[in-house]
Amino acid sequence: MTFSMQRMYAIFVKDLKELSKNTFVLTTIIMPVVLALFFGRGDAVPLEVHFLVFNTAFAAVAAYIQSVAIAEEKEKNTLRGLMMSPATTVEILTGKSIVSMGMTVLTIVLCIRLLGFETANWLLVGAGMAVSLVLFTAIGTLIGLLTRTLMEASVVITPFIFILGMGTIFAEMLQGNVILTVAEYLPNFQLEYLAAAVESGAATGEIAGHFALLLGWTAAVIAATALVYRKREMGSE
Amino acid sequence: MNESIRVEGLEKVFGNERAIDDITFSVGRGEIFGFLGPSGAGKTTTIKILTGQLRATGGKAEVLGIPAEKVNTPDVLGRIGVMTDTSGLYERLTVYENLAFYADLYGVSNKRKRIGDVLDAVNLGGEEKKKVSSLSKGMMQRTILARALLHEPELVFLDEPTGALDPVNAKHIHEGLKELNRNGTTIFLTTHNMQEAELLCDRVAFLNGGQVRLMDNPSVLRRQFADGTIVVELVSGKQVSLPNRPESARKLHDYMAAGQVASIQTNEPTLGDIFVDVTGRELA
Ligand SMILES: Nc1ncnc2c1ncn2[C@@H]1O[C@H](COP(=O)(O)OP(=O)(O)O)[C@@H](O)[C@H]1O
Ligand SMILES: [Mg+2]
Repeated sequence: MTFSMQRMYAIFVKDLKELSKNTFVLTTIIMPVVLALFFGRGDAVPLEVHFLVFNTAFAAVAAYIQSVAIAEEKEKNTLRGLMMSPATTVEILTGKSIVSMGMTVLTIVLCIRLLGFETANWLLVGAGMAVSLVLFTAIGTLIGLLTRTLMEASVVITPFIFILGMGTIFAEMLQGNVILTVAEYLPNFQLEYLAAAVESGAATGEIAGHFALLLGWTAAVIAATALVYRKREMGSE
Repeated sequence: MNESIRVEGLEKVFGNERAIDDITFSVGRGEIFGFLGPSGAGKTTTIKILTGQLRATGGKAEVLGIPAEKVNTPDVLGRIGVMTDTSGLYERLTVYENLAFYADLYGVSNKRKRIGDVLDAVNLGGEEKKKVSSLSKGMMQRTILARALLHEPELVFLDEPTGALDPVNAKHIHEGLKELNRNGTTIFLTTHNMQEAELLCDRVAFLNGGQVRLMDNPSVLRRQFADGTIVVELVSGKQVSLPNRPESARKLHDYMAAGQVASIQTNEPTLGDIFVDVTGRELA
């Protein structure tokens, strides 16, 4: 298995150029920044709101850009050319992932500034966010493999943005409801609880539990993506 | 190795449809080989198998000495160029950006100059800065062709390369392909345009219903299928058809002696006529 940095970099540059000219996608990925601007005006922004914005950034930026970048290669018949070039699937997906992840990191940094987010332990919270970033990029890859057009990917991503991005906002409403008991296992809730546990100085075991769940989600989605990829082969009809 | 492509008893079954049913041919190094057949004959499917995009369900195929199922590696793919009827471009990017991306994928050195050269070859010189979304269909097709030739491949597969082109641009492409071939590139092309095949190809294969019905040099085929009939147009405007028989010689002599001949034409069949003859089907 060969891996060429040069080819991966070429794909990264091409995808970045395409993204910068895709106004439809750009208007979606500024959503978390708009949320941060809106909430950042209050004096003391609660932890839940910070993570609502961060999780929205993961879903609307990382997962969405990744899914569109893959689906559109199928829609415009450009994937076939790529598959017949020396570029390997790993190079293609890595180049795309760097664009999706890079844009997400920029968005999150901007949101942290706008919201004035602080934490007692950047290392732990940062690690949790890094795992989430990988998880949501994998979700985007999976959606990209399963859809065939930009529009399809944009429709499929919507429930993900609402549930895995903004879902934590409904926690108050669902208090005592069985749905919440289940929903609490979702990765966005886990990331928020992880940060809350770090803030309140909870026992190592509790923090490790949230990490384990986040990692479990990530492993499961990556496995599902690999499975779908094998079944479909990115380029075949 | 003097063969660029070798195919033996190739077969591809989709569900219960035999798209390719026992095809055998080989393409010599430096040859222009034409795969001719009507829509649905199995031309694109053959190219997909030879470029590692599809697996055959039977038979053997080798490309540049490598089994078709192992073509799908960066090394081998870097030595071939492919233009299919479903190749696409990045519409938000310019012609230059599209080609520069592929130049980087193929590790083309001296990128700027090379892109200028291939664009000239497809009659798109000076169009570098145009956005792909603003191009006509023919210009897109020529950009895709330029992209397939960018890395100076040893072997190119062209699936109906002039399908969307007007005669002037088709002619330009034909000259470009001949030039490319003179410099040693092997060309495998599919078409349902018989004139194109006649003009370009060293050898053609007639494909119909997933099988090769006939394969040879176009002029050899025409000679083989010619019946030697001569058509004489007389000064009076009357046309006389003289079959290839001794008594025709006497008739022709008489017409000429009497000064009645306005023109003489041989009745050679075109490749299109031969195709209909052999397969009982029209091409386009
Ligand atoms: N992916 C596929 N699934 C099922 N049938 C296919 C597929 N691709 C091609 N075929 C069938 O195989 C036959 C040959 O197709 P194709 O190679 O595209 O012909 P051509 O390029 O000569 O027009 C056609 O009957 C077509 O319907
Ligand atoms: Mg075809």
